[in-house]
Amino acid sequence: MAIVETRDLKRHFDKVLAVDGVNIATEEGEFVVLLGPSGSGKSTLLRMIAGLEHPTAGDILIDGQRVNHLPPRARKISMVFQSYALYPHMTAYKNIGFPLKAEGLDTATRDKKIRWAAGLLGISHLLDRKPRQLSGGERQRVALARALVRDPAVFLLDEPLSNLDAKLRAMARDELKQFQREIGTTTIYVTHDQVEAMGMGDRVAVLYNGKLRQFGTPHELYEDPADTFVATFLGSPPMNIIERDGRLVGFRPEDFLPKVVWEDKEDLVTYDFHVTRTEYLGADQYIYGIVNTDVGETKIVSRMPSMVTVPIEAGSQYDFAVQGHHQVYFDKQSGKRIEYEKV
Amino acid sequence: MKQSKILRPGLSRRQFLQSVGGLAALLALPRETVFRRPTRQLSGTLRILQWSHFVPRYDEWFDEFAVAWGNEVGVEVIVDHVGLTDLVPRTVAEINAGEGHDLIEHIAPVPQFEPSVISLNDLNAEAVNRFGDRVGLSTRASFNPVTDNFHSYCHGWVPDVGDYRKSLWAEVGKEDGPATWQDLIDFGAPIRDDLGVQMGIGMSNEIDSNMAARALIWSFGGSVQDEDANVTINSPETVAAVAFMKELFEKAMTPEVFSWQAASNNQLLIAGQASYILNSISAYRSAQQVNPEVADDIFFTPALTGPDGIGLASEHVIYNYIVPTHAENPDAAMEFLLHLTENYDQAVFNSELYNFPSYFSTTPDLLEGENWVGDDPFGSNPPDKLAVLGTAEEWSTVVGHPGPANAAVGEVFATFILPEMMAKAARGDLTPEEAVAEAEERIIPIFEKWRDEGLI
Amino acid sequence: MAITYDRNTQIEQQSLLDNERVLGSVMLLPAIVYIVALVGLPFFLAIGYSLSDITVGDPSLDFVGFSTFRAVINDGTFQRSLLNTFVFTVVSQLIVIIAANMLALALNKNFRGKWLIRFLLLLPWATPIALGTIGWLWVLDSVFSPIDWLLTQANILGPGGAFGPSAHAYWLGKPTLAMISVITVHVWRLIPLATVILMAGLTAIPQDIRDAVAVDGVGFWREFFEVTLPLLTPIMAVATLFGVIFTFTDMAVVFVLTRGGPVSSTQVLSSWAYFKGIEGGNLAQGAAIALFLLPVLVAVVIAMLRLARRSEVL
Repeated sequence: MAIVETRDLKRHFDKVLAVDGVNIATEEGEFVVLLGPSGSGKSTLLRMIAGLEHPTAGDILIDGQRVNHLPPRARKISMVFQSYALYPHMTAYKNIGFPLKAEGLDTATRDKKIRWAAGLLGISHLLDRKPRQLSGGERQRVALARALVRDPAVFLLDEPLSNLDAKLRAMARDELKQFQREIGTTTIYVTHDQVEAMGMGDRVAVLYNGKLRQFGTPHELYEDPADTFVATFLGSPPMNIIERDGRLVGFRPEDFLPKVVWEDKEDLVTYDFHVTRTEYLGADQYIYGIVNTDVGETKIVSRMPSMVTVPIEAGSQYDFAVQGHHQVYFDKQSGKRIEYEKV
Repeated sequence: MKQSKILRPGLSRRQFLQSVGGLAALLALPRETVFRRPTRQLSGTLRILQWSHFVPRYDEWFDEFAVAWGNEVGVEVIVDHVGLTDLVPRTVAEINAGEGHDLIEHIAPVPQFEPSVISLNDLNAEAVNRFGDRVGLSTRASFNPVTDNFHSYCHGWVPDVGDYRKSLWAEVGKEDGPATWQDLIDFGAPIRDDLGVQMGIGMSNEIDSNMAARALIWSFGGSVQDEDANVTINSPETVAAVAFMKELFEKAMTPEVFSWQAASNNQLLIAGQASYILNSISAYRSAQQVNPEVADDIFFTPALTGPDGIGLASEHVIYNYIVPTHAENPDAAMEFLLHLTENYDQAVFNSELYNFPSYFSTTPDLLEGENWVGDDPFGSNPPDKLAVLGTAEEWSTVVGHPGPANAAVGEVFATFILPEMMAKAARGDLTPEEAVAEAEERIIPIFEKWRDEGLI
Repeated sequence: MAITYDRNTQIEQQSLLDNERVLGSVMLLPAIVYIVALVGLPFFLAIGYSLSDITVGDPSLDFVGFSTFRAVINDGTFQRSLLNTFVFTVVSQLIVIIAANMLALALNKNFRGKWLIRFLLLLPWATPIALGTIGWLWVLDSVFSPIDWLLTQANILGPGGAFGPSAHAYWLGKPTLAMISVITVHVWRLIPLATVILMAGLTAIPQDIRDAVAVDGVGFWREFFEVTLPLLTPIMAVATLFGVIFTFTDMAVVFVLTRGGPVSSTQVLSSWAYFKGIEGGNLAQGAAIALFLLPVLVAVVIAMLRLARRSEVL
């Protein structure tokens, strides 16, 4: 049974459709990421699941029960906010215990749960501090602990890592994922960062302009993008899209390499690549250039591992190739994925 | 001495007829303005600061009158009016700043400013020389016997009469109104209890309550000080007066009198809610405009008499012009004051008989001649109801009686010690003896302080 | 044609304006002049006055030591004024804070006609104190009070009423009622400011915190007392301190309503200083009385500065 399910969920803000008919269903214990650029509706979707916004149309189900009319506290959810939303005047201990107090638990039970959650997150020594005496990472753990003590059916996390600096973030990402595996609670996680999404999500829902573009495993999204938006939103640098033979052809920069590298591989599609600039990035080398397409010249990029030592000079022309099965095709008008057909 | 006559400044004929509503007023007009060439050569600007008169017509007349004089003698005259509560603070500010107006008119004695104003001894002597005897209370308001100095020039004063509602008093068998303080109890009580209209003698922190308290104490033979400014408040006579006030409050008044503002008794009288008040005739004049029916029912008494037949009331307002030492044009100031006095009949007339002269010779038509008080030019019904004002000089005196209105008296007045004394006894907070003793305790240091200053 | 610059001149011209110390001094000058002229000077003048025998007519300062203070303190009216000043300030501020909290919470909700309510709420603050108080003078009048009329209609006053038989309460004619009246006007006057400040404070509480409270599932009272109120405390302190200063130093309300009466029961320091010092002519004592406002005001200012510093750190 799905833990969280949305059915044709819609939300208007005045005349703007922030969420436009989204259907998502999560599995028990699953880590689902809602991914999209800002304004895509992912946060609104999450807040509707939490009960902080009311849907204009559609249904929300938690544990199989329709919860549209229920206030947040009755939805068996807990939430971690981007800013952590810790109560600044309370110690970490009181912050974590606050939802328990609201549930009316006695002091001893509360204490036990608080210490359990704090131990799990490794912040037992910080319980007497107030939020302003904690670092960003520590605050985030307190916020998680506060979400954890309630023993919710679903965790809702709204960009909880975006306030951390880059180095901490990578570490926190790993810890968070580990943590979720251990406690096994269904989690919905909102982010605009595709690396977070790919790295953490069991499944990722890509949203754009309020619409669900694709919902699948990171692998499916990357290898099998449903449309040009998903194709170009994931991956760095994004997928090259060129127009050829009346359709759009997409291939990943890492699949687009000098022909000599492929040696005797079959099924090669060769392009005449005018290199305009190269970028050395340590592990990789980005090679920018131009190919001829239906609409004239199109800029594309190749991502070549540094161990490939073929000399490439800016201003010269080379044969680059991509394996045919690495190419995907999209409809020129709709941008939707189509199967390859010989014209 | 050259004299010139010009047309009377002031209102147009039409305005006149509208505002006073009668041919009588037209016939009773004061004489035309008399100009006398100043003895000194005048020039420059004369800045005058004074209150906004209760009677708006007075200000209109005065401003034109002053400017006309200025035109005649070659002085630019500027008259600024402020509300009466602003007079003292404004004067304090100007004296501290060392600049401001050349001539400031106060409506109470202002001996406290003596060190900062020029002596007006010569001016007062010249006025007596020209206009004859000055009313005694005017001298006591403007002259400091200790320093032998006129700190002010008192051109006029306002009697504090008793105003009573004839119909109410007739119903309890006293048609001619109260004559003694005891009458207020004897007849005021049934008026309150049977007719539901109370007496209006205030015991609050304001001017009328201050005046009433003094009138009562004097009529009982007591006083705050003697002729030589020794504190004499704690006397059996004062205690008797306070005890009387307590009885009066209990029998004929309500706690309302503790909440009085300066305008309260006027409002009450006009609204027909007071059987007797102590005030100038301004309350009556307002009633004539607002509630003519009540106005026709209002009649006047002189000061009420006490157990020994003494009847004294404080002046209600007494006009004192001062010339601060910082004045830039004292000559013009003094010449103007003489000119004002010379034509004081116009001042009396344009104040609708509110102002009374310090020099009665200047206003021959007030008590004799046209006999304004006997035949009110401003529409009284009957026209002779103000006749009681004719004896006002006999039963009026000045705060400080029987001594001068000195600075200590002024501070006692400004800090409401007497109304509070009355109120404490009336409310039963203190016995009359205790209330008087406490008042004395507060008054003595004030006198000492000003004695140290050398002003009393 | 080539344009040549005399470089040295150029640099010298710029350096005067670009010099931060010069520029800083120039910018600070108005503030310094303001503080010296309007705060420092009167303050030291008041101290000088209170130690001298100055009167309104004799502005010369002859040193008389602390005798003026002795005379002031021994006066019963002064003692009452001192007490009243504190009573009025403390009681009115307590009421203001409670009422302003309720109003701010209510006005933070969305409802039709909210702008009108807000506008009406702000009116007392926009009204000059003296003018507003004159309105109250009528409301509290001994004879013409509309409150009395209503109470009589409700059979509370008047013959047979619980507080009858008099048809008048004499709001300003009885000491306790007069004190209540003065406090009421202060409350009426200061609620708008406190409410607006608290509303700003409420808006400043992050939406995330509100959402967290909603998710954590606490009810209205617990949310108010355990989250909203503690978070509002600093800004509430600001509102209170402003209110304290306004009430503590105000003389307009007392001056217009009661002039300190009945029998000094509502006299406060500032009005007593005025009657004694300006009307009574005893400027030295007036200054001495007014100086008793100082310790409390200094304490308030220090509290405000500390609060400001703490909120900077936060």
